[in-house]
Amino acid sequence: MALLNDISEALQKGRAQDVKTLVQQAIDEKTPVREILEDGLMAGMGIIGEKFKNNEVYVPEVLIAARAMNGGIELIRPLLVEAGVKERGTVVIGTVKGDLHDIGKNLVKMMVEGKGMKVIDLGTNVTADAFVAAAKENNAQIIACSALLTTTMGEMKEVVQKAKDAGLHGVKIMVGGAPVTQNFCDTIGADAYAPDAASAADSALALCTA
Amino acid sequence: MTDRERFARQMRFQPVDRCFNMEFGYWAENYLEWSGFVENGVTTEAEANRFFNFDRIAVISGNTWMSPPFEERVVSESGNTRVMINRDGLYAEVPMDSHSTIPHYTKASIVTPDDWKREKAARFDASARERVVDVEELKKRHPADREYPLGVNCGSMIGKVRDMLTFEGLAYAAYDYPDMVEDMVETACVLVENFLDQVLPHFEFDFASGWEDICFKNGPIVTVEFFNSVVVPRYKRIRKKLEQNGVEIWYTDSDGDVRPILSGLLDGGINALFPFEVNSCTHPGELLDAHKGTLRIMGGFDKIQMIAGREQIDAYFETLVPYVKRGGFIPFCDHRCPPDVTYENYLYYLDRKQEMFGRLGADVVVGM
Repeated sequence: MALLNDISEALQKGRAQDVKTLVQQAIDEKTPVREILEDGLMAGMGIIGEKFKNNEVYVPEVLIAARAMNGGIELIRPLLVEAGVKERGTVVIGTVKGDLHDIGKNLVKMMVEGKGMKVIDLGTNVTADAFVAAAKENNAQIIACSALLTTTMGEMKEVVQKAKDAGLHGVKIMVGGAPVTQNFCDTIGADAYAPDAASAADSALALCTA
Repeated sequence: MTDRERFARQMRFQPVDRCFNMEFGYWAENYLEWSGFVENGVTTEAEANRFFNFDRIAVISGNTWMSPPFEERVVSESGNTRVMINRDGLYAEVPMDSHSTIPHYTKASIVTPDDWKREKAARFDASARERVVDVEELKKRHPADREYPLGVNCGSMIGKVRDMLTFEGLAYAAYDYPDMVEDMVETACVLVENFLDQVLPHFEFDFASGWEDICFKNGPIVTVEFFNSVVVPRYKRIRKKLEQNGVEIWYTDSDGDVRPILSGLLDGGINALFPFEVNSCTHPGELLDAHKGTLRIMGGFDKIQMIAGREQIDAYFETLVPYVKRGGFIPFCDHRCPPDVTYENYLYYLDRKQEMFGRLGADVVVGM
């Protein structure tokens, strides 16, 4: 549908006001809200995510696209609830204890939301106990941990252990951040490592729908 | 061979007696935790450099940004964090215990063109008296017959703008107010040019330095298009001044994956990278091979291997051998050494560097 394609195009270019206008037009034309979400907003964010993974665009383009998507989401949020459109999964996300950095974590959050999943953002400096408690409380499928520093990434092991101790066997632990590697992920027994925010969103969706 | 001669030759791919020996420094915790520092009263980077007998290298810097800066003050305290306004006007969340970390910036004092207009008038006057350089004093401190390399700091064209706007703020501003951001970059360039005009005629500099920190693990914090169209032309203006005064080597400090903007950096005249963080970019050899004879790298020893242990340190050193041999590469820890590198591992790393590259009769002949 041309209008949904226009929403996707405007989103990819970061044109927040255009996205809002086009989404409102789609609502007014009685376009099913699921189509606005999936074929307009999520489609556009998906293309940005792929370009990001392929190094065709970088963080600034992702930020302005996500800002545009959020503007559209705000308009359709009440309609999504009304139509009973469910999220595709729930992810508890945060930067680990001792680390106050949130740029990478925020990017992952944007990308995961762009996949139609619910994100519980615990912010920065999050203890392993807080990750586990939030996962239980929200019946989350995934705990996603971020760290920028070699001195804080060790906290991720604590999250893995606490989740095991709490009996959260069905909850998958994802790890990422500048110093984090697949080898580190394997060493601490986490379930998934993602090298970038778009891959993290792909992994989160795959883990939730597995 | 003096330190100055060694640095100059090594950075020009010429043979030297041994590798220039330097490091980028340490986290604050290292001075409190490393036994060698504690037992020997080493509390600063300068003291550490003397303690380890590193080669001397110095840089002259000017007043090339906000003057005056914002007044630093505490806004609030909660739990184990404190919110402050820093000298860039950013609201920054920092840990109460002051352990080493990059602050978490939450908002900026400058967001709109009106904010910029007001603060530009108040803090960015190029003719301000406090920007005048005391050249005679600097000449006394760095005499013409010095035996160490002396650099001139060419500041930052976009990193300081990022510091003023926040990471996300810069991304949004470059999209919402591109003219404002370009004027910020232009202002940065004019202030650096003003400083260079004062010092370049009076010193025979061995290199130029700079700081940007404009790359993330997944690439630059500004679009490549913005970098090439707004930042690179300003680098070229500075490059012209440096060339007119015989300064050939120009490095900039940028962490993260610089590859998307590397051609722009080289085009703008920046021909060396520092301290080249491996894990968020790639092995230094990849870029040195791709830009053979053009690009230099200072740093590039993966700190993760220093944390891992002796075997990993040895293995990583082996990967650096061809590049040290070729010249244009001075290996050291790829950022300030963190405290999770043990003192024992660090000493082992320094010893191996010395054995392989750092003495007459070393395993590897440098610059051949």
